Amino acid sequence: MAIGGIHVRRVWAVLWKELIDLRKNRGLLVSLLALPAVLVTVPIGTVFAYANNPEDPSLRTMALFYDPNLPLKASAALFLIDKALVDWFGMFLVMPIFVPILISSQAVAGEKERRTIEPLLASPVTALELVVGKSLASLVPAVAISWLAFAAFCVGVDAVSWRFLKVALMPTPMWLFGVGVIAPLFAFFGNGIAVVISARVAEARLAQQISGMCVLPVVGMVGLQIAGVLRAGTEYYAVQGAVVLVLDALLLFAAVKLFDRERLISRWT
Amino acid sequence: MPGLAIDARELSKRFGERPAVEALSFQVEEGEVFGLLGPNGAGKTTTVRMLTGLLRPSSGDARVLGHDVRTGAERLRREVGLLTEQPGLYDRLTGEENLRFFIKLNELDEAAAWARARRYLERFGLGGREREPAGSYSKGMRQKLAIVRAIVHEPKAIFLDEPTSGLDPEAARTVRDAVAELASEGRTIILCSHNLPEVERLCSRVGVVKGRLLAVSTVRALRRSGAAVAVRVEGEAAPLVEAVKALPFSPGALADGEVLTVTLERDSDVPEVIAALVRAGARIHSAVPAERPLEEVYLDLVRGEGGGEGGEG
Repeated sequence: MAIGGIHVRRVWAVLWKELIDLRKNRGLLVSLLALPAVLVTVPIGTVFAYANNPEDPSLRTMALFYDPNLPLKASAALFLIDKALVDWFGMFLVMPIFVPILISSQAVAGEKERRTIEPLLASPVTALELVVGKSLASLVPAVAISWLAFAAFCVGVDAVSWRFLKVALMPTPMWLFGVGVIAPLFAFFGNGIAVVISARVAEARLAQQISGMCVLPVVGMVGLQIAGVLRAGTEYYAVQGAVVLVLDALLLFAAVKLFDRERLISRWT
Repeated sequence: MPGLAIDARELSKRFGERPAVEALSFQVEEGEVFGLLGPNGAGKTTTVRMLTGLLRPSSGDARVLGHDVRTGAERLRREVGLLTEQPGLYDRLTGEENLRFFIKLNELDEAAAWARARRYLERFGLGGREREPAGSYSKGMRQKLAIVRAIVHEPKAIFLDEPTSGLDPEAARTVRDAVAELASEGRTIILCSHNLPEVERLCSRVGVVKGRLLAVSTVRALRRSGAAVAVRVEGEAAPLVEAVKALPFSPGALADGEVLTVTLERDSDVPEVIAALVRAGARIHSAVPAERPLEEVYLDLVRGEGGGEGGEG
């Protein structure tokens, strides 16, 4: 079956092969799981720290730094927990960007390194089908890992907050929107960056290193949020998502251009 | 009468300003085993890539199995098999997974294609090893698996780029036997190789390439290109070498026991050679036309870059 000139069976074949290869690449799997583990446990630890001693006077000092108009009756611990959870989504977005970078760099530049590209291109598969298949092979795990990490994050935060504050804080509408809509857009962005970089460099490791730098602006923005310069929220993340959507379209265009069969064969072999 | 599997006319490829191959014209009949010879960088691989739809020619035309290499490349890739110089296997995948991937890419009936692949695996001595990671295979096993991958979709034409390169003699022999078997099934085979005895053994015709086509001919006609005469003398032939080499037209001379093989530019120089041998005291028992070793013909061609197109024989 072909949709718009794309043979679904061939895309499925590429996806099938990439997922098997991923399953057998233990080093990559460990790398893929390490980042979510950190991004889930750190905020749970932060919530624990705030919820464990909500009457600590230093919490109010911190809260007043972010909001000098915080009412006296309001819980500084709850305010800081809420702020931490909102701000942390910015950091959480590193995951859907970084996971596809790890996978796609291996899947694309890895073909070059292992000299498997020529037999592959000698098959009937088109360059566009390759891009789609390989992108799906990184997007599906990236989104799945993000959603699973989000589920673990919700359980962890609620377990901690319920124990001390008797409230369930997660999931919030902002997080649901962010993980459901924004995170896949960021995953697409990470994949696009990795595909474009991988098509131009010789090694998967180099592709990972260069592509990985695209998380720096995201981390920088989280830094500005924590410094109180930027105020995060649903609208803020929606704007980020819209910008990334435009970048996604540009990256898709570039990836398809770079995956020209002639170019790949003459440059990669 | 077989039709043409390959019909290349004035085929050229440039990478930027650098010409890789220029104005190649040759035909290969269906079911023929055709050798493509040439030194490294001569353009053999570029030629194969154009003929398999991987690279677009800069100029000229070619039809392979009736498909235009420019406009019918996708259909062409369904009908040809390519064994690249590097096996290009996915090391973490098993042999079976490597093959199934290409079965899926070719959109074949998976059960039937896998049954066929298993038969080839058995035939090439890989039976029972298909569940092992390809990364654990020996070099010969990898090459054989790559051959199975290249033929699993039953291509009508198979392009083999240095199929025995880097293999030990036993593995090389197995691969050669496999190629001969494929040829016996009536498939068209294009064999790129530096291994001249291999080409001589497997190919009915060869093309010698060095940027352009230097010769296309049968192996036998090539070996007979230029004159050569084998002179059997009484006693050792070695002392007569200098007498022959001293002739003004500088013939080549090689002694082997009682036989002196003399290579010449022209047949008309043979009487001068015989006269020189007689003057040197040789007692001649016989003088018969000799075929030159293919290696010598090949080296003459690529060193001189001359020769033009040899006669189709």
